[in-house]
Amino acid sequence: MSHENDVIERFKPLLEPKTLAVVGASATSMSAANVFIRRIREMGYSGTIYPIHPSAASVDGLTAYKSVADTPQPIDYLYISVAAAHVPKMLAEANGRVRYAQVISSGFGEVDEGKALQEELVASARKGGLRLLGPNCLGLYSPRGRVTFVENSSTEVGTVGIISQSGGLGTDIVRRGSVRGLRYSAAVTVGNSADLGPNDLLEYYLADPQTKVIGIYLEAVKDGRRLFDLLKAHRAKKPVVLLKGGRTQQGLMAAASHTGSLAGDDRVWVALSRQTGCILVETLDQFLDTLLIFQSLTPRSNDPTREVVMFGNGGGTSVLGTDLFARMGLDVTPFGKPTLEALQALKLPPGTSITNPVDAPVGTLQQDEGRIAEKILDAIFSNGKPQALVMHLNLAAFLGRTKTDVLGNLMQAATRVQSRYPGSAHFILVLRSDGEPEIENRKREFRAQALALGIPVYDEMMNAGWALSALCAHERFLARGQ
Amino acid sequence: MTNNALIGEARSAGRGSLDELNGKRLLTQFGVAVPKSVVVQAGESLTPKLAGLEGPYVVKVMSQDILHKSDVGGVRVRMKDAAEVEAAISDMLARPEIAKARLDGFLVEEMAPAGQELVIGALRDPQFGPLVMVGLGGIFVEVLKDVAFRICPIERIDAVEMLDELKGKALLDGARGQAGVSREAIIETLLKIGSEQGLLMSLSEDIAEADINPLIVSQHGAVAVDARFILTAQGAQA
Repeated sequence: MSHENDVIERFKPLLEPKTLAVVGASATSMSAANVFIRRIREMGYSGTIYPIHPSAASVDGLTAYKSVADTPQPIDYLYISVAAAHVPKMLAEANGRVRYAQVISSGFGEVDEGKALQEELVASARKGGLRLLGPNCLGLYSPRGRVTFVENSSTEVGTVGIISQSGGLGTDIVRRGSVRGLRYSAAVTVGNSADLGPNDLLEYYLADPQTKVIGIYLEAVKDGRRLFDLLKAHRAKKPVVLLKGGRTQQGLMAAASHTGSLAGDDRVWVALSRQTGCILVETLDQFLDTLLIFQSLTPRSNDPTREVVMFGNGGGTSVLGTDLFARMGLDVTPFGKPTLEALQALKLPPGTSITNPVDAPVGTLQQDEGRIAEKILDAIFSNGKPQALVMHLNLAAFLGRTKTDVLGNLMQAATRVQSRYPGSAHFILVLRSDGEPEIENRKREFRAQALALGIPVYDEMMNAGWALSALCAHERFLARGQ
Repeated sequence: MTNNALIGEARSAGRGSLDELNGKRLLTQFGVAVPKSVVVQAGESLTPKLAGLEGPYVVKVMSQDILHKSDVGGVRVRMKDAAEVEAAISDMLARPEIAKARLDGFLVEEMAPAGQELVIGALRDPQFGPLVMVGLGGIFVEVLKDVAFRICPIERIDAVEMLDELKGKALLDGARGQAGVSREAIIETLLKIGSEQGLLMSLSEDIAEADINPLIVSQHGAVAVDARFILTAQGAQA
């Protein structure tokens, strides 16, 4: 068996458990463990659930067992939510009947007085013959296995693999990301990483054929060298987006040399990014936006993107967007003569700017009930070879102007042109809203339509800009040294 | 336990770092050019000792008690001949900080030809292991912190990109009427320090921090004019 298959098989009981035991669920009230049972049943978990309870015969309508030793079948996934002090003994007695234990309980290594207990926990896991996720770990979301730590999570299996060192942020990533169109292969929060850590999950996602892009939220890294080696050996075949919180130890180190004093807090992360091609981002929004572009678009290693065509309504937005893109290393370059002549031949109404950026006011865009966009885009695509097209629509400007569905037609026009020139340009949509409920509703509809067509949708030019520049950086890295 | 004799000797002598002479010897083992030099003692006859060296010369005091040689007047440059070197040594001996220090002698070196000053540094990160750094010398490093770091081992393309990352990189190509310097010589030096077979990977458990400052780079090559290596506490763990 190849190493990759071996890694995939090893994680299967965790991400697609056939048997799942829950410690800490109450027979009479609603604890975190009861919520967990409810969530996975709502999600359609089809394996067997064994509540473990010292006295009750059943919990939440399921037959309960006194200990992990008593369950009819061995346990793939053991969920533990009881006081920290009781956990080590439980793991030590697993006797090879448990593959993975996720310990939600806190009071371990994250506090000074729990450090010894965490060591005992790890030793107990070894003794019991199981691998440990956590402690202080909210758990994981796996649409393939129908297991989740998030309320109302999607059952759709996607291509984005997440590792989060924070459970709360993990929840944000799954929920907020889903609304933006991200669909996950899995999202694993690792808590204190006493045993399994971010590197182990990274190794899994790199091997997992379902995962196309990987997002990691890291605070402290326990084995930076292994992270570096894993990423470097992979050579960015899958994009890896890294949101790094906190500071490295270097900042705390007393430096005796000049070099030591220059190392600062995050130089090593910049170095990691440059050498392995992983994308460093600074905020949760940037993280999600960047993952979305990689989920939606296929990077071109032979022709790294630089030149961008910007098309939409809103002169000021175009100007600011052009500036912003330029600062991000993207070029909104004026069109060449053939494209300009083709656009001039369309005899667009006054007020339309046909250099790049193309600024077409609503008056222009509603010509032909929005089908004019198809002609404009056709002129651009047939005369030039745009590497990326950012179409931005200020939805509020269309309100009350026309009865017909101009916006819908615009979207369709854009996608038709896209399909006539396959593989030509990365197509990105910016749907700008003023936050009014009516606009927000339309935006939600359009976003869903666009995402269904594989088009990434962003709220503002800023979001589109950093996502696109991350895609470019990735393409340049793939082209590097070719 | 180190397998490098220079480091072994420093450790047995209870030293936490390599002095300039041994630092340069270490660099030579990895193919980095250093100025030709001799060690002389005060009062000894200099003319025969300097016979194999071409002037002008640089004279530097050698003492484990003196960390910053130029701060105490322990560095003299552009000495034309043996007589000037001798006078410089007498001057130094008259300075109170030098007079009271434990002296290993004086290092007399051929003065490196003029060029662009760079700094190559190293640091052992507790998580990532050895890092290598490059920056332009002087205010670029000290004030602007215009430096690029990489995790070792580096490849040629990493070295090339490190130079491209420097804001002051135009100075390497020649700016304000100055001739450009050999990028290739810098890249080669970075690889000798930071590649898979380089100094830092070979001695990754021994070197905690290092400064090659300055590395003087001309159109034709690069010379490490000063070097400092700080050793790990006692052979850090792998």
